Amino acid sequence: MIATGVFPMRLFLLFFFVGIVLILLQSTFLSLLPFGPVVPDLVLILCVYLGLHHPTMGAAVGSFVLGYSIDVVSSRQLGFNAFAMTLVFLAVYFSSRTIWLQNPVVTSLIVLFAALVKGAALVLVWVVFLKTEGFWLGAVRNMLMEAILAAALAPVVFSLLRRSESYMKKFDAVM
Amino acid sequence: MLDFFRKNQVPLSCCFCLLLSVYILTAGARGQLKNEPLSAVLMWIMRPLQIAAQGTINWIGGLQDRYDTLAGFRAENERLRKRIQALEVERQKLLESQATNSRLTQLLDLRSHLPGKAVTASIIAHSASSWFKSCLLDKGSADGVSKGMAVVTPLGVLGQVVAVTPRTAKVLLLTDPNSGIDVLVQRTRARGIVSGSLENGPVLKYVKRSDEVQEGDRLITSGTDGVFPKGMMVGTIIKVTKQHIGLFQFIEVLPAVQAARVEEVLVVGAINSSAKN
Repeated sequence: MIATGVFPMRLFLLFFFVGIVLILLQSTFLSLLPFGPVVPDLVLILCVYLGLHHPTMGAAVGSFVLGYSIDVVSSRQLGFNAFAMTLVFLAVYFSSRTIWLQNPVVTSLIVLFAALVKGAALVLVWVVFLKTEGFWLGAVRNMLMEAILAAALAPVVFSLLRRSESYMKKFDAVM
Repeated sequence: MLDFFRKNQVPLSCCFCLLLSVYILTAGARGQLKNEPLSAVLMWIMRPLQIAAQGTINWIGGLQDRYDTLAGFRAENERLRKRIQALEVERQKLLESQATNSRLTQLLDLRSHLPGKAVTASIIAHSASSWFKSCLLDKGSADGVSKGMAVVTPLGVLGQVVAVTPRTAKVLLLTDPNSGIDVLVQRTRARGIVSGSLENGPVLKYVKRSDEVQEGDRLITSGTDGVFPKGMMVGTIIKVTKQHIGLFQFIEVLPAVQAARVEEVLVVGAINSSAKN
């Protein structure tokens, strides 16, 4: 499951493009879906995918940049999602050593776990840096809803990412 | 030593990124992250894409509206149906033009009544995170928008600018838990602060138990915060709860402006020198 070595240029471009598309989707189309206040976190799923399939230094920095981009587009203060996404990548990186099965159920469970890690990280930095009243109930609801939504969407996003990578490999073989 | 770094490059780079995040958070909290270049670059990349995506959404929305309208006529006579379809398309165009015209006229009207300078802007993206309620405008510091400016519509207050790049501005909505607007209850002149919350919708805080407020009361800006012009509609009280203990009442508010339904806004400059934070 683990691919080591450098992060090839083509893969970097692929994930850069995918990252932009996902952030764009999250900030436009997906924020209008009827899930109440919760936006499906596709960027989180991408970070989990990177942690599982491309555990490299470049992917770690990529997770940080993805989180930072979400901060730039959405957060009141920079660094919240950058911190959370990096922590998610690190958690998935360490967990991936013990994961041998790969199927939609396992994928969903990993993403569920990662979403909870992200939620916990956000709660932590929120409590430290933004002292807000009436926070806990909403935070727990957001965390759970985000986790369930992300887990439900994970198999589809993983499948699309795997397919994109295999197309790229085929293209490389032809070239 | 080098072998250790090579073996642990992923955890070490993660630790570096985590430390960098904490540094960014700390610097941001202290207000030391002004003119941070990476945000401007990311915004520069995202802005045209977000404008295009928002345009596509509007186009799809228009198509759906047209489809919904036409679906009602399907059972009717075939000869009349074609005629109605043509008229309906025409009507939609006219209605859209009329609606846009009306919105812009209202904005112009509002602008003429506001003190200080005002910039008209369009919303190009909404919050990508469930934890923050914000939106992005297509105007930035190059157009005269600056941090701290109020964002309003003819219906009322939308929020406040919290970050700007040369071509975009990020607006913290009234519904965000970190926002706070000084308001008056229009009927009784009782004062309080309207703030968002993650648990419910916005709430009106710090209204004394002895103050008379009731469901349906309208909330307007007090004008004393130096940011929002006095008398702008903020929302309507939908629920008042007097708890057994405590100095204040718990009041839920329905905001006057729903960000998801707004396309154009006015960004208004500070109404006095104390507005800058």
